[in-house]
Amino acid sequence: MFKNYLLIALRNLKRNRIYSLINICGLAIGLAVFIFAAILTQYEKSHDIFFENAARIYTLGSVLSPQANYSVKEFDGVYTAIAPLLEAEATDIEATARIVQDEYLLTLGERGFYQKIKFADKALLKIFDFEYLAGDTSALDDPLGIALTETIAKKYFPAGNAMGKVISLNFHSKIDLRVTAVIRDIPRNSHFISSLIKDNPLEVIASLNALKQMDEFKLEGNWDNITTGDLTYVLLPSHLDGQWLEQQANDVFQRHASDDVKKFISGVKSRRLQDMNLVLWDAVGLPIITVVMGLGLMVLIIAGLNYTNLATAQAMDRAKEVGLRKTLGAKIGQLLIQFLVESVMITFIALLVALAMLEIIIPVFNDRFGKILSLDYFSLLPPLVIITFLIGLIAGAYPAYVITRVKPVDALKESLSKGLKRSLVRSAMIGAQFVFSVFLLAMVAVVTIQNEKIMKSSEIFPKSQIVTLQKTWVGDIPTRHDTLKREITALSGVENMTFSSQVPFIQQNWTFDASKNSGDIAGKVNLNRIMVEYDFLKTYDIPLIAGRDFSQEFANDMEKKESTVLNVIINETALKKLGFKSLHDALNKSFYQIFRDNEDGKKSRAYVIVGVMKDQNFLGLHNSIKPIVLRVHSQYYETASIRIKGKEFSATMREIERIWKKINPDYPIQVEYLDDIFNHMFKIYKSINIALAGFTVMALTLAFIGLFGLAAFMAAGRTKEIGIRKVMGAKTHQIVTLLIWQFSLPVLLALQVALPLSYFASDAYLNFFADRIESPIVMITGSGLVAVILSWLIVLTHAIRVSSRKPIHALRYE
Amino acid sequence: MLKLNNLCKVYQTEEVETTALDNINIDIEKGEFVAIMGPSGCGKSTLLNIIGMLDSPTSGEYHFLGDEIAHANEKQLANIRKKNIGFIFQSFNLIEELTVFENVELALLYNDVPSKERKERVTRVLDKVGIAHRAKHMPSQLSGGQQQRVAVARALVAEPAMILADEPTGNLDRAQGEEVMDMLKKLNEEGSTIIMVTHSPSHADYARRTINLFDGQVVTEMYRAAE
Ligand SMILES: Nc1ncnc2c1ncn2[C@@H]1O[C@H](COP(=O)(O)OP(=O)(O)OP(=O)(O)O)[C@@H](O)[C@H]1O
Ligand SMILES: [Mg+2]
Repeated sequence: MFKNYLLIALRNLKRNRIYSLINICGLAIGLAVFIFAAILTQYEKSHDIFFENAARIYTLGSVLSPQANYSVKEFDGVYTAIAPLLEAEATDIEATARIVQDEYLLTLGERGFYQKIKFADKALLKIFDFEYLAGDTSALDDPLGIALTETIAKKYFPAGNAMGKVISLNFHSKIDLRVTAVIRDIPRNSHFISSLIKDNPLEVIASLNALKQMDEFKLEGNWDNITTGDLTYVLLPSHLDGQWLEQQANDVFQRHASDDVKKFISGVKSRRLQDMNLVLWDAVGLPIITVVMGLGLMVLIIAGLNYTNLATAQAMDRAKEVGLRKTLGAKIGQLLIQFLVESVMITFIALLVALAMLEIIIPVFNDRFGKILSLDYFSLLPPLVIITFLIGLIAGAYPAYVITRVKPVDALKESLSKGLKRSLVRSAMIGAQFVFSVFLLAMVAVVTIQNEKIMKSSEIFPKSQIVTLQKTWVGDIPTRHDTLKREITALSGVENMTFSSQVPFIQQNWTFDASKNSGDIAGKVNLNRIMVEYDFLKTYDIPLIAGRDFSQEFANDMEKKESTVLNVIINETALKKLGFKSLHDALNKSFYQIFRDNEDGKKSRAYVIVGVMKDQNFLGLHNSIKPIVLRVHSQYYETASIRIKGKEFSATMREIERIWKKINPDYPIQVEYLDDIFNHMFKIYKSINIALAGFTVMALTLAFIGLFGLAAFMAAGRTKEIGIRKVMGAKTHQIVTLLIWQFSLPVLLALQVALPLSYFASDAYLNFFADRIESPIVMITGSGLVAVILSWLIVLTHAIRVSSRKPIHALRYE
Repeated sequence: MLKLNNLCKVYQTEEVETTALDNINIDIEKGEFVAIMGPSGCGKSTLLNIIGMLDSPTSGEYHFLGDEIAHANEKQLANIRKKNIGFIFQSFNLIEELTVFENVELALLYNDVPSKERKERVTRVLDKVGIAHRAKHMPSQLSGGQQQRVAVARALVAEPAMILADEPTGNLDRAQGEEVMDMLKKLNEEGSTIIMVTHSPSHADYARRTINLFDGQVVTEMYRAAE
């Protein structure tokens, strides 16, 4: 009996080749997208599980207080002072380890390398069971011991045998580090590697003791700053959980943090190791896993609706067959089973196609995004088979129900009752499909245009012309800044050059407190300071709206440690924040620094406003514009920005490199293009856009495949009617209008749901940006319009084809 | 009124070629009542469909009111058709979703007749075929004979010069069949040209002229003297 069902199902598939193809393709796309979303989210959620203690490892993060007025909601790390206190006061904790990371210049004989180093408490090697190729967990017992990953060991010691070798680190003074372990490279699905924004892969681990020796790091930590990427790990015994840890950590925080700290950070949060790689998304406040899974599910539902719709339409064609079978004595149950078998069979064929698609897509994706997703059939198949089976049943249930409900007499009559052809349920399904499609389309439009806006805003700086030289503060380079600048600016291809403490698009907040009136602590405001050199404004095309640029002619333009009066340039926001009424009111007036507790004893200092610059978003474009004070201070020249003119870009670059080598033979040149710096910051938003666009293309393709199939079926169902109308003299356009109207009703209703939905979702998204597009309404209505017009076009082509045929075709059809 | 010269219709399917009409030469004058007869499959419906411009011939000439239209396109045909020809089918071909009134109105709707006039004319013609009391019913609520009367009404309402009927009595019982035939006869007397396909010799007797087809060819033509 069952074999019989299968045979009939197969025969039907063959008979309706085109519709079977549409059905299978649609479902396959839906399944592929859904499975992909599931694999991706599973992958992202299961980072680091290969560490033996993974389930017991937690990290501590900081929650920003609302009055901190910061662009993110959380930091991934905590003050370095917390871990030692926590270990001392919550004695149940098994171990804690902190990481402080930075890039340093390492030298090996003649060669020099900039290398990111993670300085860690030695317990790190107890918490994480790295795989040792040489050495063991005691590697950091030696304060100057370092562990290298395999790749780095090969890079520095191509001859092999890195163990025991000495690497010098040049900072304020030179210290010699000794390789005490070589560990296998960390798999890609670890938070140690796959951080989205900062590329800080774990390559070299050194001891915090070394940092203490070279950089006055205090082992008891500090309450001064939290640096992104500097993490605190906690290993708990198995009977305790993250909630307990969070409680303990908050207690410690409340007991020891000063009021100033509490104003900025409201509390501590514990996070499972597995969730660490998503921390960035938490910081932005975007529940990425839910969003991706939601989108995947959405596409699958569209595909399911599509299938149900088409299958129902197709089932109508078989009403006669069903009627006949019934008159021949078939029971409803048997008929139901027959239809469901068919439906389940189609979904399984679609599953096979989907898996084949994924076999192709996943390697490409891995290659492109540096991930290691895999189709693990062993764990994947059981749930997939169940899901597919359910989809087959659910999607097939409605058409099966409708068709088996047909009374034999009706089915055998020449045409079916109209109720079946234009049922409410099917209109509702078309409508639902449309809601999803329009929603996704609108979101893509909004995200794209918002990205465009960020791109445009970034154009205020001549970013494609600017090359930066990083690490110009290292070693004795600063003593030769003047020579470097003189020689580089002498090049014919160089327009300008300037040193500064930071460059645009990098979110680095160095702040100080000041007030308009000297000593007015109650009226103090927090200002960002950026240390610059004389040609800064010129190099970056930053316009002054009042006053003058910095100049060597004025002694007070240059900041010194003991300066009591200093000329500065501020932006409009700072001007307002300080309480000046107008440009005129502010120019050549002063404001005064308010020193913080830990800066006690410093002399007061007056800042004289000699220039006011336009408000520009200097610190990463998703931040609101900060009050900025530019100060000329040669001690902070961390980066040089060179503006290159003319077409001989690469020739000029070669010249610059030659000059650098001549002047700073001991230090490798660190070139970064401002364009790249921007793109790096922009990456996260771009990837949101790409992901959304991907889902949308899929969803739209599905919706339109479905629409096309439906249009074909609906037109077919009305062929006779069309024929009669034509015989009665209806013109092509009249027939076309008739068919289009049938589609328009559900589509128009769907818009009423989709448009407000899109509005709220996109508004929420746009709120991440300080510099946001005003209103997404144009894009949203545009998307609705595009969807409607596209669907009309599809129906139109079909309707024209049907109605321009000779009427006899239509009449003979039944 | 119309003239067919060496008209052929060949159906080309995947394997076989069927010659449905083979060298037909027919001349039909205005005001004639013509019956087309012949065994099943001899090409009667094909001929009628070509005369009615629902289909085009493969070769040969078709002159309608003096114009050669064998090779006219669908748009031109549709224009001539809706001005001049009314159809009655064996299977009625009413639109299920429309009421009796609306079905009949359809023919006027597409002829751009103003709404008020449409109403009058439909009412009048429904009266004429004796189905006015069923104007608001759906076709599925009517018997076969009643449905065919609606179809006749629809064919009449635009007052076409020519009415084509393909086995109009095929699905009706004897009494109903006679009624429809009487209606056609009356229409012919009022001046309409009528061409009708039928299997019934007695119904063919209503016509003045009978054309016998066999295997796509005209075999005999018979004229009945006027009464
Ligand atoms: N669309 C078509 N494709 C192929 N062959 C066709 C087509 N329509 C009709 N024929 C063939 O043309 C021939 C004439 O068909 P037609 O319908 O004109 O016959 P008929 O005389 O009306 O028969 P009946 O009295 O049974 O209605 C038949 O042999 C038929 O098989
Ligand atoms: Mg026939």
